[in-house]
Amino acid sequence: MIGREGILKVLRQALERAEGPTEIVFMGGRSELTRYTKSQIHQHVAEEDTHIYVKAVEGKRVGVARTNQLSAEALVAAEREARELARRQPENPFFPGLLGPQNYTPTDTYSENTSRFGPERRAEVLKEIFAEAERKKFEVAGSFSISEWEVALANTEGLEAYQPVAGAEIGLVVMSEEGMARADAFSHDVERIDFDSLAKKAISRCELDRGKIELPPGEYTVILEPACLAEILEWLSFTAFGSEAYLSGQSFLAGALGERSMGENITIYDSVWEPEAQGLPFDFEGTPKRKVMLIERGVNKGVVFDRTSAKKANAEPTGHAGPPGSPWGAIPWNICLAPGDSSLEEMIASCKRGILVSNFHYVNGYLDTKRALMTGMTRYGTFLIENGEITRALANLRWTESMLKAFSNVVAISREREAFARDGGFASIVPAVMIEGFTFTGVQRE
Amino acid sequence: MREWLKEALEELGRVEGVLYADARYMERETESITVRNEEVAGLSRAETKGYGIRVLYRGSWGFAASNVLSRDRVQETARRALGIARASYMTQKKPVRLDDTPPQRGSYRSPWEEDPFAVPLDEKLELLFSAVRILKKDKRIVKAEGSMEIFRTRKLFLSTEGAEIEQEIVETGAGIEATAVEGREVQRRSFPTSFGGDYAARGYEFIRSLGLPENAERIREEAIALLSADPCPSGEFDLILASDQLALQVHESCGHPTELDRVLGTEISYAGGSFLTLDKLGKYRYGSEIVNIVADATIPGSIGSFGYDDEGVPAQRSYLVQEGILVGYLTSRETAPVIGRRSNGCMRAESWNHIPLIRMVNINLEPAPDGPTLDELIADTKHGILMQTNKSWSIDDLRLNFQFGCEIAWEIKDGKKVRLLKNPVYTGITPEFWRSCDAICGKSEWKIWGLPNCGKGEPPQSMHVAHGTAPARFRKVKVGSGR
Repeated sequence: MIGREGILKVLRQALERAEGPTEIVFMGGRSELTRYTKSQIHQHVAEEDTHIYVKAVEGKRVGVARTNQLSAEALVAAEREARELARRQPENPFFPGLLGPQNYTPTDTYSENTSRFGPERRAEVLKEIFAEAERKKFEVAGSFSISEWEVALANTEGLEAYQPVAGAEIGLVVMSEEGMARADAFSHDVERIDFDSLAKKAISRCELDRGKIELPPGEYTVILEPACLAEILEWLSFTAFGSEAYLSGQSFLAGALGERSMGENITIYDSVWEPEAQGLPFDFEGTPKRKVMLIERGVNKGVVFDRTSAKKANAEPTGHAGPPGSPWGAIPWNICLAPGDSSLEEMIASCKRGILVSNFHYVNGYLDTKRALMTGMTRYGTFLIENGEITRALANLRWTESMLKAFSNVVAISREREAFARDGGFASIVPAVMIEGFTFTGVQRE
Repeated sequence: MREWLKEALEELGRVEGVLYADARYMERETESITVRNEEVAGLSRAETKGYGIRVLYRGSWGFAASNVLSRDRVQETARRALGIARASYMTQKKPVRLDDTPPQRGSYRSPWEEDPFAVPLDEKLELLFSAVRILKKDKRIVKAEGSMEIFRTRKLFLSTEGAEIEQEIVETGAGIEATAVEGREVQRRSFPTSFGGDYAARGYEFIRSLGLPENAERIREEAIALLSADPCPSGEFDLILASDQLALQVHESCGHPTELDRVLGTEISYAGGSFLTLDKLGKYRYGSEIVNIVADATIPGSIGSFGYDDEGVPAQRSYLVQEGILVGYLTSRETAPVIGRRSNGCMRAESWNHIPLIRMVNINLEPAPDGPTLDELIADTKHGILMQTNKSWSIDDLRLNFQFGCEIAWEIKDGKKVRLLKNPVYTGITPEFWRSCDAICGKSEWKIWGLPNCGKGEPPQSMHVAHGTAPARFRKVKVGSGR
């Protein structure tokens, strides 16, 4: 880690030599990842890198150049290149100019514990997990990564921002000859992860995943564990709640703010201040983050904006700009589904006949974005529930469903939520849900 | 850098227990342009440079990479890679053994005529804006977009075995897309294909050859027509896949499941496994007898081509499926010995900071000798559906159950396209699907499609791959509108 002053000093030096209004975004750090299968590490990597975006402004025109070398010389060269790009393009009437100094509500995103958790420590933790699985004659696959990075932003209007971020993420896939199960954890502080409980969870679930039967496609009551919801919300971030989806009319919220699209028990929002995992207090334009209600008690409430898209929509920026030059527009990176008052155990106990799904696989949300129609497979454990108990393991199923319909038919939501990593330091925070009439359309078979 | 990396490798080679090490230095320049409606939505140039060092210590791997270009940091990075390999060794059950590919010394440069970085930006913007202006001529087109990407990659590969390879590869790609909205209906058409268009390892002459403005009016009109088209009917139909959609079908249902690292379980916690298990090699009927699929990294001008892969193995051509039978896998120096072979050169890394993994190269469905044209194939179809251009994709973790959606389809009756259809989706089980293939068009319809965004691995790596395909027909496929 270079530290706030070390980074901002170089950025200031480059800004002093800039030929006009300029903004520099720095993202740099290191990450390490340990990957394993058949209870053996097969890939083990570490990298250090920086991504530095230099945004040069010429009136209403903006050019961006990127380098991975942190020196005043490299940044000045990038500024000249970005300015040349800016001068050669048409004006963007919606570009609002650069932002001046801001105040940010702090968030807690860094832990030295994570920084110190090196390759030997990870191998030691994994060795114990492998041994525990071996006692049941199971094998373990997965990945265990740690990262620490810094985000800094400075511009010629005097804005300066800095935030360190650390993340630890582990996925354990426990495999028997007949089936497999998965458990995941994410935290900014690696010491908060209970590796033993995680391993026990995956091992005990793997014991259930045997003697699979095929269930015919059709509509079933389904209990989706949190990992499934994380994937659905990640898709909706792009196809529904992002500024580009909204402004282009592809989002189901376009032209429909204030309308009801889901059940009254559904509230979806973006927030960097959740206790499970926090996020950056500013975006890549330096705008302070706001908590944004996307769906409130089933009603379409809002989408996220950067400064340019907000101007187009005649709305306020929400602090969700992506890195400069990105064509994606604003995206909610810290999307959350509000908790309910149930639990996974209570949902299973209350289910007369249904399907418990541990994870989704290869979800695609481009089928019909106006209806939030998606398809995907189940993975790492799909189970039949009968009269309040898990009775059989099932072959993986394909589902195809409108999320507007699904979120209109939610009958229970868990109190407990889990954080799932998205792009290192960010996270989606989601509970488990029980849905009536969820549509399965195929089965995995050879 | 070359001398610093050689020095680091020599030092590693002297450490007891180090069986092998290699180093890759890479520089990549990128220019990305996106124009949307009347605006430049994204315009950036990027440069990245750095190096990665891979060490095999007593049969366990370690890898470390850095963007800091100094002699001290190169040595520190090499020591870090060794430390990581030693940590991996703590859990070793079975040591890695590499094949006996001889160390190579050589160079490679992809073929290009017009340096895309030297073409004035004004000209590139005008090409995209001229197409977008045509797309925008109907007010129902709410989003008209054109995009272009160009890359120049310079790589140096060194190994403790004495390999020394330099490569320079220039790549270009572009495409346009129109999104039409009317009420609750949203439809999209893209050209030459979706998700960024088509890519090649050629210069700016490739982008000029795409004909973006020339095809914009047709794309706009198709997007508008889809707003009021009938939904694709549900049921079992004979299905003709256009060349671009078939490229994705090959990618997902043949390319990925023949990656030998997946077969051996190293992707089981992320991308998944494969139904093409080792016991099937040489005898499994993957498809009908007319199905021949080849991995070929030697095709000039394709983004799945190179001189040497990222562990120094020369580019090759080898069959994966021959006359419908599974005969090969995509392999590496580590995995090929498992099936008693030498690597067929498929280890590729997205960048200097990533470890190479088994990746697709050009995975091609061979055209049928004397095969029909697309028009002849349509004329030969009594009742079927023709689908073109991918819109959505999903396949299970063993690459068996798939569902793909396309941008556009036409109903075929008595050998003629009779009706435009929207929201077409088809689904199936991979071997059943390929076994139902009863016709593949001939060479005149065969085209290589460059896909710049194949995802795999942890940390995720996005790879440039390609697929050569001609339209083909599949019997009795489950089709619907995805609703």
